[in-house]
Amino acid sequence: MTQITPSASKMPTPRSNLKNWIGVIPFFLFALLFIFLPSLRLFVGGFTNADGQFTFENVIELFTQKYILDSYLLSIRISAVTALGGGIFGFLLAYSVTVGGLPKPLRSALVTFSGVASNFAGVPLAFAFVATLGRTGFVTAVLKDVFGYNIYDAGFNLYSFLGLSLTYMYFQFPLMVLIMAPALDGLKREWREAAENLGANSMQYWLRIALPVLLPSILGAMILLFGNAFGAYATAYALTGGRLPIITIQIGAQVRGDVLHNPNLGNAMAMGMVFIMAITLAGYSWLQGKSERWLR
Amino acid sequence: MNMTARLRKIPFWSSVWFILGLLYFVMPLLATFEFSLGMERDVIGFKAYESAFADPEFLETFGYSVFLATMTIMVSIILIVPTAYWIRLRLPEARRIVEFITLLPFVIPAIILVFGLIRVYSSPLEVPFLDRLLDTKIVLVQPLTNFKFGTNVLIIGGYMVLGLPYMYRSVDTGMRTVDVRTLTEAAQSLGASWSTIIVRVILPNIRTALLSGALLTFAIVVGEVVLASFLGVPAFGPYLFLLGQHRAYEPAALTFTTFLLTWAAMGIIQLITGGQEQVSGAH
Amino acid sequence: MRTKKFVFEMLVLLVIVSMALASCAPAATEAPAVTEAPAVTEPPATEPPAATEPPATEAPADPMAALYEAAKAEGMLSTIALPHDWCNYGGVIDAFKAKYPGIEVNELNPDAGSGDEIEAIKANMDNKGPQAPDVVDVGFSFGEPNKDLFMPYKVSTWDSIPDGMKSADGYWYGDYYGVMAFLVNTDVQPDVPQDWPDLLDPKYKGQVAQSGDPRTSNQAIQAVQAAALAFGGSLADAAPGLQFFADLNAAGNLIPLIANNGLVAKGEIPVRLTWDYNGLAAIDSFAGNPQAVVVIPKTGQFAGVYVQAISAYAPHPNAAKLWMEFLYSDEGQLLWMEGYCHPARETDMRARGVVPEELSAKLPDVSQAVFPSAEQLVSAKELITTQWDSVVGADIKAAE
Repeated sequence: MTQITPSASKMPTPRSNLKNWIGVIPFFLFALLFIFLPSLRLFVGGFTNADGQFTFENVIELFTQKYILDSYLLSIRISAVTALGGGIFGFLLAYSVTVGGLPKPLRSALVTFSGVASNFAGVPLAFAFVATLGRTGFVTAVLKDVFGYNIYDAGFNLYSFLGLSLTYMYFQFPLMVLIMAPALDGLKREWREAAENLGANSMQYWLRIALPVLLPSILGAMILLFGNAFGAYATAYALTGGRLPIITIQIGAQVRGDVLHNPNLGNAMAMGMVFIMAITLAGYSWLQGKSERWLR
Repeated sequence: MNMTARLRKIPFWSSVWFILGLLYFVMPLLATFEFSLGMERDVIGFKAYESAFADPEFLETFGYSVFLATMTIMVSIILIVPTAYWIRLRLPEARRIVEFITLLPFVIPAIILVFGLIRVYSSPLEVPFLDRLLDTKIVLVQPLTNFKFGTNVLIIGGYMVLGLPYMYRSVDTGMRTVDVRTLTEAAQSLGASWSTIIVRVILPNIRTALLSGALLTFAIVVGEVVLASFLGVPAFGPYLFLLGQHRAYEPAALTFTTFLLTWAAMGIIQLITGGQEQVSGAH
Repeated sequence: MRTKKFVFEMLVLLVIVSMALASCAPAATEAPAVTEAPAVTEPPATEPPAATEPPATEAPADPMAALYEAAKAEGMLSTIALPHDWCNYGGVIDAFKAKYPGIEVNELNPDAGSGDEIEAIKANMDNKGPQAPDVVDVGFSFGEPNKDLFMPYKVSTWDSIPDGMKSADGYWYGDYYGVMAFLVNTDVQPDVPQDWPDLLDPKYKGQVAQSGDPRTSNQAIQAVQAAALAFGGSLADAAPGLQFFADLNAAGNLIPLIANNGLVAKGEIPVRLTWDYNGLAAIDSFAGNPQAVVVIPKTGQFAGVYVQAISAYAPHPNAAKLWMEFLYSDEGQLLWMEGYCHPARETDMRARGVVPEELSAKLPDVSQAVFPSAEQLVSAKELITTQWDSVVGADIKAAE
């Protein structure tokens, strides 16, 4: 319900600003202990060499080693692709059960399913896709036997960039649905009615009113999807065995290393990831600010 | 209404998207299920399920993970609800920072967070620099992992961090759709204390949103592998992972089952709370 | 208002940074393993067993009893990286628990690799809690380089462990070995390859996979080294092995998936490169569905040895020693055999006739096994991990 809250109804200005911050101390303490300290450990580690001294060499390696730069690029590519694809189709799915008018139970089913599916990742997800689209997969077999079409002969390969992207979508679509469904709820019916009153058709309504309002939310959600894919590790490892050298796998190799084992380089790589993500998050924050106007 | 009229009511494109989505989501699950039925040669049966559930470790680890998930959810609620409430009411300036913090688990790759947590809390926490001055070490806190209890604290903390974005977002959405300010004023004018307000007024109103956050956290905790295996706790994630290394059919059976169970749990709760999320401000 | 917030944030930042810097420093200055060495001199009566006691079965009663009491007083043993289906560790742990009640076996991180185990010791140097492993079971090449992290201990049956498999001063000791083999799902691929070059045949297109990532996994690296034997290489020269995998990949026969038994059973990976004992255990678990066989390549039985060691920082040293005594007793060694592994004391046990006929028959013939030395393993590891990407070509897919 839109409410015009006159400023008079605001709570009286608190006595001292500092006192108010006490209320959020528990939260900040938690963040300090469990987020900042560990992250700082990584930050400091990125600037340490094997003997424990301060050094820039790890960071320099980030820029000079081709395989590291390639890994970042690959990660960015796959995150961008799945964010875009996931964003578009996820939006369409969310649309279909909200504004799109499908029966309410379907919405419940989709939203609850999305809750579970958005966390379905790693070995079980990889196996599920192998069982579906692998050489001996269910769908591969059906296409071959029933339609006579062998996708592997046609060049498709699950163990590739395309295959990994398809697999990532399993948690990208649901995440988009979870974020967009409430946002789509924010599209007030009055706007549609008003537009129709003024003679707009569906296309015009969407292009001129709905999409512009939703765009910040959509873009913001896509950025979250980007981050989600960017940080993914277990699924890629399980599906491609480290063959697709995305940056998280490189970090894993350095940090867990049986062999390569330079955890400080791994820390530096992680810092690079954090930097990239920080930029995208800044974009997200900015977009959030814009969307608040309409959805509050 | 006759058939064609009823059909006309079903939106075409929405159905198309939904059906496509349905196909995409269902097929991998179906493939997993089909494989799990194949344990006995030439027989379609539930042997894999029998074998999987007969393993005593399954119940132990699953039970332990459920316990961890419950604790994580409870502590998260205790931490997040008052914080979000406080920010809405008294401290809007903090909003940006807090939201930023809740997005950090997305930004920092999980594998680093986990390793960072383990490294930091496996060694004693000391007062900085004092040891150089006084030539002794003053240990503030013994490594958490020295004690079983400490390990549980650490792992719950870790899980809270992983679930933070979802929990906070749910609570925030819940509070947004319910006018917290007016409720508080009304309660205060009736003479309620802060704790009464939070527990008896705010919490029930954001119940549905809380539940959705809780279920997401539950899914995360039960499926988490890295933190649990490195801290050596008998959780479900490592158990499933290890099973997958050596057994063929049982992991597929377990994966399928846990997926369905979690979905069913979410569904039942939605039913019970009657889909309250549609309330206020949205059509 | 703004400045107050800013100051607050700066203060917080300062506290964080100083705490972080401090928490890093101690780790570097921490007393290294040297100070733990006193353990060497102390072995509580387990050193001179046979001398005083009438040799009953495998280990004399009295010193063992004393060790058992000491272990029971500690109450717990922390193991790490011991999957139950690997060499029948499940059976070993159960038997240990049954034989020595009162000692809880705390199993850490069963899916860890050798590197993770070493990391776990290092990370828990100050930590006497249940997170710190007492004993480790690592790849052969991890023994000598890490001996500073181990506590030397010679089990009562020390002399019957072959010299090539143990460190002279007792820091680490070989426990079992197997040879590199192919696990083949014969339902999907009835044409069983007999040797490495066979795998290059087009009929195995998209059917062969490693059991791990060759840049980090012991098993995968040694598969490459094993292949070298078939292509003109030797234990000291793994380059031909790398070239073989490059060819295998170029032919499209090698899939990048990390093979596990589920994928073999599914038929997605009909040929899995793994240790023979893993393959044989898999066949047991398949129980006929699918049918599968284990083939040891004709050109070269490449032996992979794993070694046991006690952590120098073990919170429960006596329990650790008791565990070792158990593992190296005839009973323990036989339990490993049931997992299809060749125990270190096999030659000695066979000579004394303690190996049951049926058990002996279950194990594949590895009389021709070649054992790489630690230096050969390390240099091969160097070569393979650094060159895998460039030679075998992970770049292929990235370009898509």
